[in-house]
Amino acid sequence: MPVVALPHTRLHVQEMNAGAPETVLLVHGMFTNLSIWYFNIAPLLAQHFHVVLYDLKGHGMSDKAGSGYGLQVMSEELLALMDTLQLDTVHLCGYSYGGLIALQTAIHHPERIKRLAVIESPDPQEQETMNIVDIYSKELLTHFVNGQPAGAGAPLGKRQLERRHRMYEFLLKESTIRQDMQQEQHFFEQAAITRIPHDTLLIYGSDSDCVPAGQALQEKISRASLLYVNGDHNIPVQSPFVIGEALQDFFVNGPVKNTTAAYVTDKADLNINLS
Amino acid sequence: MDQLTHPTQLQEEEILNVLKQFITEVIGEEFVEDIDITPQSSFTKDLEMDSIEIVAFSEKVKAHFGKDIDFTGWLSNMDLDEIINLNLGDITKYIRSCL
Repeated sequence: MPVVALPHTRLHVQEMNAGAPETVLLVHGMFTNLSIWYFNIAPLLAQHFHVVLYDLKGHGMSDKAGSGYGLQVMSEELLALMDTLQLDTVHLCGYSYGGLIALQTAIHHPERIKRLAVIESPDPQEQETMNIVDIYSKELLTHFVNGQPAGAGAPLGKRQLERRHRMYEFLLKESTIRQDMQQEQHFFEQAAITRIPHDTLLIYGSDSDCVPAGQALQEKISRASLLYVNGDHNIPVQSPFVIGEALQDFFVNGPVKNTTAAYVTDKADLNINLS
Repeated sequence: MDQLTHPTQLQEEEILNVLKQFITEVIGEEFVEDIDITPQSSFTKDLEMDSIEIVAFSEKVKAHFGKDIDFTGWLSNMDLDEIINLNLGDITKYIRSCL
């Protein structure tokens, strides 16, 4: 298992197509792990790019951590990982809370990022949405663990139950993850977001509760395009091939030409074909 | 004198034994003792593996069998539901077909 040692933690990292000249760095969300990229989205991107995906601390196969889940620390760890892997600049993509980590990095270290993609990141101000994200994350885990569609209710095996229970017990009761996330509630209000200079692709599920957050980011970031994909907060699992192709197109070719605002602005046009 | 087994001579049973060893390494010997691992065993229903454990398993397959097989490429054509419902017989046949 490839592990990268950073000053305060050790992260599980996977790389694909390491010889490619440009790198895409993928950041998952809270309560999930790098497997949301590994099977479909990362291999698609690896047709063109060196792809780096890692487990955030406290998740997947990275080290446990009792604290330090705020965006500044998580972004510093992302940059430390880039330094360790000798990556000066990357195309950066984050999902859910990972998208907020990507935005934080774009604000404070724009020189390290070529193009930016944000998938289904919530507005931390919307506590209700954050709770929904939490619930979705649990369902996502159930989905992975069960091999059944989320909510199908198939019985869990004893070992799976114990693993899942241990992770939630630790993160929610023994770590500062909830407090750290709550500390970020004013993240969208900061003027610095409006100064993000990158071409930015925002991808949101057409039925997601996070859509208003995507629209808010599109208004704030001058070079942002907003793409709706059929599904809800779980679109990386529900539509991995659509998302993989959209990211590949964006990182290879940049935003669609002659479009300054959005790929899709009308929810009636949701069934788009990206190819 | 010991004779080296060339990868192309690997039979499905030998491949299955290698895969069983990887599963033991990923989920731990204490759990494997209670499970009868067969070609019909699926990742999640029978082996109770979750997604990050399937990642670890895949990496072991890639490291062991090398560039003769494009295991990640094979998996990438499937959606997650198909991947987690794969059984060891499917994987064994795929590896055998590449060697």
